[in-house]
Amino acid sequence: MDARRERFEAIAPAVIDAVRRYLARRTDPATADDVLSETLLICWRRLDEMPPEHLPWAYGVARNCLANAERGRRRQARLTARIAILDPPPEAVAGPAASDTDLTAVLAAMRPEDAELLRLWAWEDLTPPQIALVLGISANAATIRLHRSKQRLRKLIEAAGHEESTEGSRP
Amino acid sequence: MTDDDLRTTLRRADPAASLPPLAPTRVAHLLEQTMATPYADAPAQTATPSRWRRPALLAAATVIALAAAGAGWLTLRPSSGDDPAGTAAPVSAAPSVTRLTGSGIAAKCIAPTAQVLAERADLAFAATVRDVAGDTVTLQVTHVYKGAAIDLIEVPQAPGASEGLMGSGAFEAGKKYLVAASQGSIMTCGYSGEADVEGLSALYDTAF
Repeated sequence: MDARRERFEAIAPAVIDAVRRYLARRTDPATADDVLSETLLICWRRLDEMPPEHLPWAYGVARNCLANAERGRRRQARLTARIAILDPPPEAVAGPAASDTDLTAVLAAMRPEDAELLRLWAWEDLTPPQIALVLGISANAATIRLHRSKQRLRKLIEAAGHEESTEGSRP
Repeated sequence: MTDDDLRTTLRRADPAASLPPLAPTRVAHLLEQTMATPYADAPAQTATPSRWRRPALLAAATVIALAAAGAGWLTLRPSSGDDPAGTAAPVSAAPSVTRLTGSGIAAKCIAPTAQVLAERADLAFAATVRDVAGDTVTLQVTHVYKGAAIDLIEVPQAPGASEGLMGSGAFEAGKKYLVAASQGSIMTCGYSGEADVEGLSALYDTAF
């Protein structure tokens, strides 16, 4: 029991930090808090199943928990929509991407699978085999899909005139 | 635009870049809160009322190959009179007992394939249920498809553990089962179940 606690206490701070960032990138603060606790709990219960490379595994757990939380929230949102007709939210204008904020918009406009691969690669700093672990796909598939996603993103950025060279000289 | 450039560009849009680290007190609080939750691993020694509070999610993964002497009582203990299906327990000199755990409710099912079964299972056998005592089921192995030759297998009858078991979903005395296990944990989701469930024995024949 104590050995188990010690092991968890050794692993957990890094997991907490990484998963917190993972969630901050993908959801609102309240949901992030809930999902972080849930993810930790699963890590604690399944400590024996955790592979030595525990971060990708923990991201995978967080990903499932987040998907569950969002399913619940969508259900609630549908209910809310039936009760009240709200002011429509401001339309996201698909204008030229010219700043980092717009890069977020570019990502949002991509296929969700593509955008997620790119996020895991650039933000979580994962290699294709690690991405494969998070998404539950083969390393081969992750390599190929990541490559294609990068190409798609490049095209989108170039189409929007979002060149690396002009980035710094923006007025 | 090289990969590195692309990554740098993407990183500039990272919403968590400015996220301050969590205060150490918050981390400690989170840890305590998490570890205060009971976890299940070691199978319950006796059927005490507290086992009902155990979460269904069993920490799977330990095959405990018990020393034959230690577990010999299982075979040798007095028969309760309902020795199922006439499986006169062969009181061989040294029966080996293997204990498996269930994969718990975390299991997600996709259609079973012989290939996955052959790749993932490190133990596969046909067995008849000898007896059910509390939430421990003792299986008498009749045929080993894969893995070391064994006589007896102990598996949990916990509600979460047998979820996904084909057939009635639980081990019943006297019935014949096909069971596959990976790293000490029973493979459910169409890989283990009653031997006469349609397709299961064909799956085993194809895989092994």
